[in-house]
Amino acid sequence: MAEHKNSDNGEFHPKGTWVILLIFVVTLILLWGSVYVILLSRGVTV
Amino acid sequence: MTEKQSMHIDPYEKNWIRLSIGLLVVFALAVTIAGFAMGIQVPSPEARVDPRTVADEGPWAEPGLRELAPGKYEAYVLAQTWQFTPREMTIPAGSEVTFYITSKDVQHGFKLQNTNINVMVIPGQVSKLSVKIDEPGRYDYICTEFCGLGHAAMFGTLIVE
Amino acid sequence: MLANYEVSQAEKKFIGLHLLFAVIAVSIGSLFGPLQALEHSGLDLYPYLQPIFKSYYQGLTIHGVLNALVFTTFFITGFLTLTTIYGLKRPLRYPKLNAVGFWMMVVGLVTAAIPILADEATVLYTFYPPMKAHWAFYLGLTLVVVGSWIEGYGMYFTYYAWRKENPGVRTPLTTFGGLITMVMWQIATLGVAAEILTMLLPWSLGLIEGTDPQLARTYFWFTGHPLVYFWLLPAYVSWYGMLPKQAGGKLFSDSLARFAFWLFLLLSVPLGFHHQYVDPGVPAGWKFLHAILTYSVFIPSMLTAFTVVASLEYAGRKRGGKGLLGWIRALPWGDPIVAAQLLAGILFFFGGIGGITNASYNVNLVVHNTAWVPGHFHLTVASAVTLSFMGISYWLVPYLTGKKLAVSNKFALAQVWTWFVGMMIFSNAMHVVGLLGAPRRTPLGLAPYIPEEWSGHLLRVGIGGTIMFFGMYMYVYIVAKTAWSKKAEPANVEVPLAESVQDPQDTPEWLDKWVPWLIGTVALLLVAYGPQLIDQISNISLTSPGFKVW
Ligand code: HEM
Ligand SMILES: [Cu+2]
Ligand SMILES: [Cu+2]
Repeated sequence: MAEHKNSDNGEFHPKGTWVILLIFVVTLILLWGSVYVILLSRGVTV
Repeated sequence: MTEKQSMHIDPYEKNWIRLSIGLLVVFALAVTIAGFAMGIQVPSPEARVDPRTVADEGPWAEPGLRELAPGKYEAYVLAQTWQFTPREMTIPAGSEVTFYITSKDVQHGFKLQNTNINVMVIPGQVSKLSVKIDEPGRYDYICTEFCGLGHAAMFGTLIVE
Repeated sequence: MLANYEVSQAEKKFIGLHLLFAVIAVSIGSLFGPLQALEHSGLDLYPYLQPIFKSYYQGLTIHGVLNALVFTTFFITGFLTLTTIYGLKRPLRYPKLNAVGFWMMVVGLVTAAIPILADEATVLYTFYPPMKAHWAFYLGLTLVVVGSWIEGYGMYFTYYAWRKENPGVRTPLTTFGGLITMVMWQIATLGVAAEILTMLLPWSLGLIEGTDPQLARTYFWFTGHPLVYFWLLPAYVSWYGMLPKQAGGKLFSDSLARFAFWLFLLLSVPLGFHHQYVDPGVPAGWKFLHAILTYSVFIPSMLTAFTVVASLEYAGRKRGGKGLLGWIRALPWGDPIVAAQLLAGILFFFGGIGGITNASYNVNLVVHNTAWVPGHFHLTVASAVTLSFMGISYWLVPYLTGKKLAVSNKFALAQVWTWFVGMMIFSNAMHVVGLLGAPRRTPLGLAPYIPEEWSGHLLRVGIGGTIMFFGMYMYVYIVAKTAWSKKAEPANVEVPLAESVQDPQDTPEWLDKWVPWLIGTVALLLVAYGPQLIDQISNISLTSPGFKVW
């Protein structure tokens, strides 16, 4: 896939977007992880 | 495809996709380990029964606990509107119980509070899951699927002594 | 680039009718939401409704059917009709065909509503057999679904006519997203069509004795999961195709937007077993396969998150936002249309986290059929989707009626924020109390097993639900007042189609070709569902007679 620079896009780097999405990922890991820990704490089923 | 026609993925977005895939792979590994290595599993088909006769013949004609060996039990539970039979079971702490649950009428749910036992109870099917409880106490099993007007009151108790 | 196109008055009226039914549905369906929430917190108002509504469960059936099935379907078919013709800049090819589809949906709605209101179909919106509703309920649902198919056919014919007039031109993005939504829907609803036509309808008519409840669930969830994408994709159409412009910028990546829509077509359907993780009649291996497929459908949603947020960042920077996050404040938060969609996105942030949790195979044991689950989907269908639709209404109603919103900007903003605040409280409490073990679909005030420690959270359910009540009826008031006001100022509204940073004509051609994607979709479906469907159908046993248990 060729990198295609559009004149309009040349200056713009979505750095803030990365920050927001990193916050999302960290929240996701924490919340998902806490339910996973509940799962482990409630014992086996087979 | 001409030179001009390209997917044009911004490098920031490319990295985001990599991160997302990486994260999902980690989650997938975590659930695989919990499921297939540690034994926190979801149910699989156990048996088929005829809901019209299941309460009259076979193990659900006399639902209840059966001791297989010291500390090892199986529990046949019959769900119907709007009660579980038996309503109460008592086991010593540290024992292992395998539940076999079915319904003679509509769909129900069976969730043993504070454990990982949480299954659908579907007429014609047998739901099988096991649990080992070390902590003494009263563990309610509640119906978690709408089964009619009395649904909210449908529950029983496993007493661990 | 996209010059204005005048949609004819007749077509505007036609689309407006969709909206009318949608808003009526949600205004009746939402009456029960706050009642359910208050019941959870200890205030049981159902005894006062007794003369009309017999039980909590009848109300819950109305709530689920009218909100999740009727409101959404009518809004979506109307909205997508507009994105199709406005994007293509041509009228419907066969307007009569679309009209037939629409009126069939209306007839279906009425047919299903009668037994529901008569307490003859208190089976909730999932209508799991062997609970047996009146046959008119199943027939009505069938007509609604078939009507929506016909409206979809009308859109395809229109697209086909346009394609012949415009060979080689890229399909406009909003049209493209709308068409994919309809195609996905038509594949997905085959499941529920099979369930009703081969089992429930003949059974309720007395032609067959019993049903196979496990197979019915498999059929139902074949449709039930993609149903959530049928709700969500139209909101994505707005987030990709309109919000960038409304926010003052451009779409960050046209080709990735298209790619994401294709992935949704490919991956929305073959993963329904993730609603059946704890079903006894489905092998764990198949559940695991669907878990992995479910993880893969998060990729297009993650793509969407990036592209939409980046488009917003682009807009915010163009509006003078500085620094790493200053662009957020620079967005037009004062515009209720934009604010609604931004807040919908924030709520969806949490909805997505809950969704990954539900989807995570055995982790589902912790949350299955607990209050967590309604907590989750009020963040998705009742927020990401409904709140976006509320925002869309604030330009769509003026566009269709030619009248400005009949309330102040402030009032519309207050509406949007009210829903947001109520939902944050409500959904958080529902998630927490679900983790503690509270079941869903249960009037908890009547349940004898509720521990004291839940009561604080249940109180928050009631508080959040009450705030949502105001949010919902402020919305209904705004739409109704605008639609019925006689001498409101004329509106000068255009359909807000966003431009893309990249010229759509520069997107690769394979992103505008249907056949390979459709083949891939069917192939994946056969792999993911084929063997289990064959197994369950060939072992069918219609041994469950019907019950009326309400
Ligand atoms: C007006 C504010 C609303 C409130 C306070 C509210 C509250 C609730 C509550 C407490 C439940 C759980 C009932 C139970 O499990 O026993 C519920 C279920 C549900 N709600 Fe809402 N809701 C509202 C609006 C909506 C909207 C707008 C939608 C969709 C567009 C929606 C869709 C649903 C669905 C599909 C269910 C599940 C029904 C079932 O389990 O059969 N709700 N709602
Ligand atoms: Cu029940
Ligand atoms: Cu799903």
